[in-house]
Amino acid sequence: MENKRAKIIGLYSGQLIFLLAVLGLAEYAVKAGKINKMFLAAPSDVAIEFYNMIVQNILWPHMIITVEEFFAGYAVAVAAGVLLGVVFVAFPWIDQFFTPFFSAVMAVPKVAVIPLLIIWFGIGLLSKMVLVFLFTFFVIFFNTRNGAKQTNINFLKVAKVFGATKSQTVFKLLIPAAMPSIITGLRITATTGLTGVIFAEITASKAGLGYLLQESTALYNTPRMFVVIIVVTILSQFFVAFVNFLEKNVFLKWQKL
Amino acid sequence: MAKISLQHINMIYPDGTGTNTQALKDIHLNIEEGEFISVLGASGCGKSTLLEIISGLLKQTSGQIFLDGKEVTGASKNIGVVFQDSSLFPWRTVRRNIEFGLEINRRSKADKKILVDKYIKMMNLTGFEDRYPQQLSGGMRQRVGLARTMVNDPEVLLMDEPLGALDYLTRQTLQDEIVDLWRRENKTMIFITHDVAEAVYLGTRVVLLSPRPGRISNIYEIQEDRPRRRTDLVQLALIEKIQQRLNEISSDREDIRAYI
Repeated sequence: MENKRAKIIGLYSGQLIFLLAVLGLAEYAVKAGKINKMFLAAPSDVAIEFYNMIVQNILWPHMIITVEEFFAGYAVAVAAGVLLGVVFVAFPWIDQFFTPFFSAVMAVPKVAVIPLLIIWFGIGLLSKMVLVFLFTFFVIFFNTRNGAKQTNINFLKVAKVFGATKSQTVFKLLIPAAMPSIITGLRITATTGLTGVIFAEITASKAGLGYLLQESTALYNTPRMFVVIIVVTILSQFFVAFVNFLEKNVFLKWQKL
Repeated sequence: MAKISLQHINMIYPDGTGTNTQALKDIHLNIEEGEFISVLGASGCGKSTLLEIISGLLKQTSGQIFLDGKEVTGASKNIGVVFQDSSLFPWRTVRRNIEFGLEINRRSKADKKILVDKYIKMMNLTGFEDRYPQQLSGGMRQRVGLARTMVNDPEVLLMDEPLGALDYLTRQTLQDEIVDLWRRENKTMIFITHDVAEAVYLGTRVVLLSPRPGRISNIYEIQEDRPRRRTDLVQLALIEKIQQRLNEISSDREDIRAYI
């Protein structure tokens, strides 16, 4: 026991030292002029840039816009994905007819449609919403559908002998039975959806973290680029943590016993 | 008039290759109100098919089923089913599982509370209301399954080998609880099992099905008083007799010869 703990402490401190060494190396390489400042930012410069952006209130407004665009598209995708997913299972002929079309549209590389979306919906909220939807909907939809299809046949028999209606079967059986698979879909799309927003903002926008990234590239502000990259990473990890929280405490409480 | 009347039930499954499998052949049986029918048979004799037909889950190929003289054509509120593996919903607590049937029938909150409380008490589940199924033992789970069916107060209870997965002692305890329940609530029971001793201990009649296709081979009346003793000599003699008959009809199987 004691030995195991000592090993873990040893591992953690080793990892910390390694991390500090990498950062130190980057700091030295940039400050000593071994690497051009345009290519790599010294960690200290990144920290100073981060501080300045906070003080000058540059970061926060852009982050809010990105988060808003993300949630607007994501909420629609979750609602539509889960609902359609179970409807496809409840009505097999719908499933048979439409699934090939859904698969085909899912196969389109989403980034390729960004220019078209801008022509259709402009460079504001709507085009970002639609892109987030396209990035996330299909995964949520197929995860829900495939999860609901795995519903234990005996559960369906129970519902039938109790005389459950179709909508009761959908809401009381199919959705709860599909929940583990739905949660997996949400976890995957929490990060891919954010990727979608950033992509769209880099391509065409007047605000948001992607815009900030694009702008700092144009100005050769490498430390700022690093700040934005770090913020985006933290944001996506935060979304995943939020899904995990919902899983543990709300939707799949029963699985975590 | 019989409570449940099965009239010349045949069930044939098409198996896609043109040859059909006959699962049930001419099942004809009248069951009186308050009877406890044990349906006994080796695996593959169509016991579960018969149960699914009576409960309205499957449609028979030919023949009719009457409940109180009225033909049964689908799931009926008056027929409740307890499944083999209890089939509790893992995402619902004990209380919410028992509540399921009442929820489907859109009963009021007050009704739900009163009825669920009653059956939690009756099935000795007090203190376990907020547990999830996987936190319960097999015996406990089957008690919840029973309560979930009982809460809708069906007149006829169908049970598909409900104790099959339980250990010997838990099984005996639950057998007694089922008998108590049947006597107190005056239900008509159809209990499917492949355990001869269980069939004899529980039933007022034992219906023996022969395999492939499932036909009624013999019907045994058991007139013994309750409570019964498992070691009663008359009972033991009957068990032996049925066991012998079961061995005879099982050896009729020709489909295994090709592989031996």
